[in-house]
Amino acid sequence: MRHHLAGLAIVILASAAFIVHADETCNSPYIAKLIKGQEDYVYVWTLGVEGLGDGSDKLVTVDVNPKSKRYGKVVNSVSTGARVEAHHMGLTDDRRHLWAGGLADNRIWVFDIATDPAKPKIVQTISDLGDKSGWLGPHTYYAMPGRMLVQALSNTKDKGGQTGMALYNNKGRFIASHAMPTENGGDGYGYDLAVNPKKNVLLTSSFTGFSNYMRPIGELMKDGDAMKKFGATMAVWDLKAMKPTKVFNVPGAPLEIRWSLNPKDNWAITAAALTSKLWLVKLDGNEWTAKEVGTIGDPSQIPLPVDISITRDGKGLWVNTFMDGKTRYFDLTNPEAPKQTYEKVTGKQVNMISQSWDGKRLYITSSLLANWDKGGADNEQFLRGFSWNGKELEQKFEVDFTAEKLGRAHHMKLGAKGLASKE
Amino acid sequence: MKFACLLAALALAMAPAPALAHHVEMPALDFTPPPPGSYVLHRIMPAPEGRVLGLDGRPQPLSRYTRGEITLLGFIYTTCVDPQGCPLAYKVFDSLKESIQSTPRLHGKVRFVTLSFDPARDTPEAMRDYAGSRAVDKGKGLRWYFLNVFLIDPAGDVREIYSSMFLHPQTVLNDIETLLIEER
Repeated sequence: MRHHLAGLAIVILASAAFIVHADETCNSPYIAKLIKGQEDYVYVWTLGVEGLGDGSDKLVTVDVNPKSKRYGKVVNSVSTGARVEAHHMGLTDDRRHLWAGGLADNRIWVFDIATDPAKPKIVQTISDLGDKSGWLGPHTYYAMPGRMLVQALSNTKDKGGQTGMALYNNKGRFIASHAMPTENGGDGYGYDLAVNPKKNVLLTSSFTGFSNYMRPIGELMKDGDAMKKFGATMAVWDLKAMKPTKVFNVPGAPLEIRWSLNPKDNWAITAAALTSKLWLVKLDGNEWTAKEVGTIGDPSQIPLPVDISITRDGKGLWVNTFMDGKTRYFDLTNPEAPKQTYEKVTGKQVNMISQSWDGKRLYITSSLLANWDKGGADNEQFLRGFSWNGKELEQKFEVDFTAEKLGRAHHMKLGAKGLASKE
Repeated sequence: MKFACLLAALALAMAPAPALAHHVEMPALDFTPPPPGSYVLHRIMPAPEGRVLGLDGRPQPLSRYTRGEITLLGFIYTTCVDPQGCPLAYKVFDSLKESIQSTPRLHGKVRFVTLSFDPARDTPEAMRDYAGSRAVDKGKGLRWYFLNVFLIDPAGDVREIYSSMFLHPQTVLNDIETLLIEER
């Protein structure tokens, strides 16, 4: 080993070599710059609606600092000029960029949120996911050191549910592709992914393909064959090797995955949308296990749990159910037996839920998928901000995304003025 | 990861850790890593490039220190506020150094480089102090911190990036071995 003892002063690059922390409860553990205090902005990835505004998908910035004169107001909107079923987005590990994509397409828009956190700008459009990997419908954007792991929902060949993950570097260059497991119990479907670095484990869940999620929900529900084409598995991967090591049978389309952020814990929780069940994936001895640990609402009514948000101490879980518009809180003190302790109707339809690091503020949006949202007066499209005092959710503001001619409000990420930085 | 040309005064020295590292407990690796050669380290990006100024004030290309051998490049700066990750990274570098020195087949194959960017503090003089502190804690109050760590192959491609929060010498050593197996 050679030792370079000469110290050098340099004139060059500053890398995105930042200190890393867990992010606001639900993000990659590799993401830097945790917002521990009051967030200033909520970025809302919004589906365009034909005839409403410019009809395009857009990233909307809402001021959510109660001390601001523009509290609860839209302060910026960046249109993509396309309408491709905008769905989820994810922060890079240095928190300079926000990657966002749509399920009807393979384009990924990269927004610079660091130069001016109030006014994100599109700095890159990645369009080679299909060509490079064969996957279609990028869903989850999960920050790895210097890279982004993208989980897709479908494939370009038959637009079914066989899919996989694609790895890009932070410059947007494709690096590698990994198919979802189809052996040893694997069904090939994909949805979310989440990493437990200290265990070298990647956990994935499963949903359905383009041919299902782009169909009107009423039509889909009547198609028995199509309804069989939903994921029913979760997979444990060796993160370093990117090889699946175990597949669990988790019926009913397990969706969002949340690892407990308590350093002493080695478990993750998810909700199966179609069966309305909570599942716990846990390390028992040396074996990863998965088991059903709770019920969300009345499964016979198909409440459709669509998003979950875990508290930073791993002791509580918020669950949004789309059909009944309820936001539920589960006590996770014993993750083997979650107990619902609170519920409130927060909209006629609710989808995503995000919380501040301290858990005192919650943000809820309304849209699930363009063809799955409710119709008529039930088709509320909003971002609502709530306070939580441990006992009661109190609505503090609302942005009506229809009245503002923005579109369908979907995924959220938090931003802060203090994260502004130069390249 | 951004390697854009931001003008910043940086300091480059070699890796060994200062005395601070000895105050940190190395956490046990909480999993069995895949054996060397059983996995692929993808080419993530070209190694960073730029001009560096030596202690003697002469500019040199950074590539002089990142090509031709497997290089472990650690970014450091003096105002790190992370109480866990930075000292831990020191410890990891110390441990790696010992492992490599005790493994003859790795001799001459691996180079450690630490790169610090902090124009106000990390001056050539400060770096000289740092280099000197390798052997003896001079008690000058210098605190050096690691950020991400990069594993660079002899061709100059970044093959792995380690977050200082989840850095462990065994995984780094396995990655080094994996690159060496690849070269055969």
